[in-house]
Amino acid sequence: MGAYIGKRMLAIIPMILFATLVSFVLIQMSPVDPAEAYLSAAHIHPTEELLAEKRHEFGLDQPLPVQYFQMVMKIAQLDFGTSYLTNKPVWQEVALRLSATLQLAISSICLTITVSVLLGFLSAIYKNSWIDVVSRILSYFGASIPQFWLGYLFIFFFSVRLDWLPVDGNGTWKHLVLPTLTLSFALIAIYTRLLRENVLEQLQESYVLYARTRGIKEKVIMLKHVMRIAISPVITGLGMNLGKLLTGTIIVEQVFSWPGIGRYFVEAIFNRDIPVIQCYVFIAACLFLVCNLIVDVVQLYLDPRISLKGRTDH
Amino acid sequence: MPGAAVMILLLLMVFVLGCTKQESASTSHTGTSQEEKSVTVSWVRDIGPMNPHVYYPSQLFTQSMVYEPLIKYQEGGKLEPYLAESWAISKDGKSYTFKLRPNVKFSDGTPFDSAIVKKNFDAVIKHKKTHSWLGVAKVIEKTEAVDKYTFKMTLTKPYYPALQDLASVRPFRFLGEAGFPDGGDTAVGVKKPVGTGPWLLSDYKQDQYAEFTKNPHYWGESPKIDKIKVKIIPDGETRVLAFEKGELDLIFGEGAISLDAFKQLKSSGKYETNLSEPVGTRSLVFNALNDKLADHRVRLALQHGFNKKAMVEGITAGLEDKADNILSKNYPYANLDVEPIDYHVEKANNYLEEAGWKLEAGKTVREKNGQPLELELIYDKSDPIQKAMAETVQAEWGMIGVKLNITGLELMLQAKRLREGQFEVYFWFNYGVPYDPHSLINAVQEKGTGISEAHSRLPIKQELDQQIHAALSSTDEAERQKLYTSILKTLHEQSVIMPVSYIKQTMVYQKHLKNVTIPASRWDHPFTGIEISK
Repeated sequence: MGAYIGKRMLAIIPMILFATLVSFVLIQMSPVDPAEAYLSAAHIHPTEELLAEKRHEFGLDQPLPVQYFQMVMKIAQLDFGTSYLTNKPVWQEVALRLSATLQLAISSICLTITVSVLLGFLSAIYKNSWIDVVSRILSYFGASIPQFWLGYLFIFFFSVRLDWLPVDGNGTWKHLVLPTLTLSFALIAIYTRLLRENVLEQLQESYVLYARTRGIKEKVIMLKHVMRIAISPVITGLGMNLGKLLTGTIIVEQVFSWPGIGRYFVEAIFNRDIPVIQCYVFIAACLFLVCNLIVDVVQLYLDPRISLKGRTDH
Repeated sequence: MPGAAVMILLLLMVFVLGCTKQESASTSHTGTSQEEKSVTVSWVRDIGPMNPHVYYPSQLFTQSMVYEPLIKYQEGGKLEPYLAESWAISKDGKSYTFKLRPNVKFSDGTPFDSAIVKKNFDAVIKHKKTHSWLGVAKVIEKTEAVDKYTFKMTLTKPYYPALQDLASVRPFRFLGEAGFPDGGDTAVGVKKPVGTGPWLLSDYKQDQYAEFTKNPHYWGESPKIDKIKVKIIPDGETRVLAFEKGELDLIFGEGAISLDAFKQLKSSGKYETNLSEPVGTRSLVFNALNDKLADHRVRLALQHGFNKKAMVEGITAGLEDKADNILSKNYPYANLDVEPIDYHVEKANNYLEEAGWKLEAGKTVREKNGQPLELELIYDKSDPIQKAMAETVQAEWGMIGVKLNITGLELMLQAKRLREGQFEVYFWFNYGVPYDPHSLINAVQEKGTGISEAHSRLPIKQELDQQIHAALSSTDEAERQKLYTSILKTLHEQSVIMPVSYIKQTMVYQKHLKNVTIPASRWDHPFTGIEISK
């Protein structure tokens, strides 16, 4: 297992290099010059002279291979340079926002797992009961409501009308409630239904019948056998979503004024702040690859039939 | 699986630590006394590093709270003494001598004198190129601290809007000695925001809030409120909800909330609202470099060919006014009567016929020499008003046989197309006061603005440029007014810039706030004189 993880970790390096190359090429293909974007954002009329000065200051007047090589060398030392706009070290700016995004992502994942597992199992076990109907209605709304609108609805009822929670900002657990609910709602909708289907499918399997025939308690069959297998696709999905949540949840951050990295990076994209964009690509690539790896390792643990070579041993 | 468990534990630790840290930070600024008079406002983005000499991401309104100019721009373009008590301009228009106000102190108690004024000016003009968009920065030759309270600025050539430029929010405002970095170059940053203004930054959390309290050393009338808290709320709808909940006392700034939201809050009767005088003009620019638009008759036809009044009222819910002049009459030198180019479909059709654009039977688009009369209008796709207006214009011009393709672009790309002259019809905005009218005529004259290029094929362009040059360097007020009248009338007649509407600033506030006024300068803060009534 250790060797497997080591190999997978090593494979991350070329993938990250590839990601930085693709993002570098895409930035170069953009018709907007970063120097011009900076001046426009600053409400300064971009004269040719000024543009040349800014391009020189940002190192954009160097040949493209040199720019790319310098960027990779810096990233290798975890030096992401300074932001064109704020003139502050990018990593310092990112680190400031990363903890806020982590809080939101982790609380959303925790809530999603708790509610989905509970509701998914109960709605499968008590198929067509009231709990199944409730889970179906929740899933229907969760999958259909746009996230920004749901956010506004939550603010309207829980903050403006009932005055229970703050409208915006972060700092206390109260600030965390509404953004977490908003982010989790759609995920709960998906995973509850997914888990319900998986559980129902597993209940038709012969091993469940044999286990019941052997007189094993229903609770044990469910928790030890059915749940373990049924939860597997849910973990894969959640692993992918964890990557998404950690790389920024721009809509929720925008609606709830949450000072996370999503807002920061979107603004950087509009302003062609290349050092910030490259830092984001690096972090996103790392997070997705690491999350993938974690998911695979968890899958291995839950279902030993999956071999380390990625195929099923029978 | 110990690995996964460790990872989960680590993530939980980060989460818990994050929460704890945030909580302690937030409690540090909540312990305010009940008597404290505080106003909470919102802003779309972080206030930035509060450096008076640089631009984005520093925000203009907070810069104007902490840093002050030598001269203040007031209603109607009147310039009033501020940190300078008086000034004298030499006959040749090249030397400006300012008598500084004595007994002015920075917020850290250090004195404001000619030495610090010179230091600030020198820090700015060290980066002349960065500030070259502002006319005065290009022409400053020399600065002198003549005596403790006399400061002299010498220009390379006469430039009348020098005082207007010095009245703007940045970059010619004054940082105290303690704010200068080692080496004195403010372009690399400031140590702390020390100004002479009525407010000082007392607490700040990036991307979350900034708090300003009264400057204890303020030379002028002290604010009637103790604290202003600026909450960073990027979303317009959330801002409205926070306001309705009472978490915000005041919402201001162009585009801070949608026009619909403003109208709804106003009609509720629960809040007070303010609407400013026009602060800018929303215009359409026809690029005369394009062969079709080079014909004056086509430009006139396009202006006559749509119902501007109905469009502006319909789309902006009456919160913008139909514009007949390129600049509204409340700007300096712009109070002139011009004949409006009114909505007249028949005139529009006649002009197009005269210009040779014929509408064949069974066709919907006019043609000339086999070429259809087809144009492209580019607009900022993130601006719903521009989009709605573009669609209306498209429909209206369709009725006179003009096919208009509308293209929504990212703002940066739109600006680039303007600068390069790569457009046919373009939504354009002037800077507003205190930069206008001189920045408007400068844009017509100076290459690379896109506006200059759009006018470049006009037969009178050379003459127009000469008049603009003369107006900007004129030292005679009457002569300058005469030149402005001529220039603005010519621009109106040539119809390259088609005024659409006058933009106004909106403000909505809770009823316990009194004396809330919109500043004369478009970019200043609105907190002067605000009071809280019980």
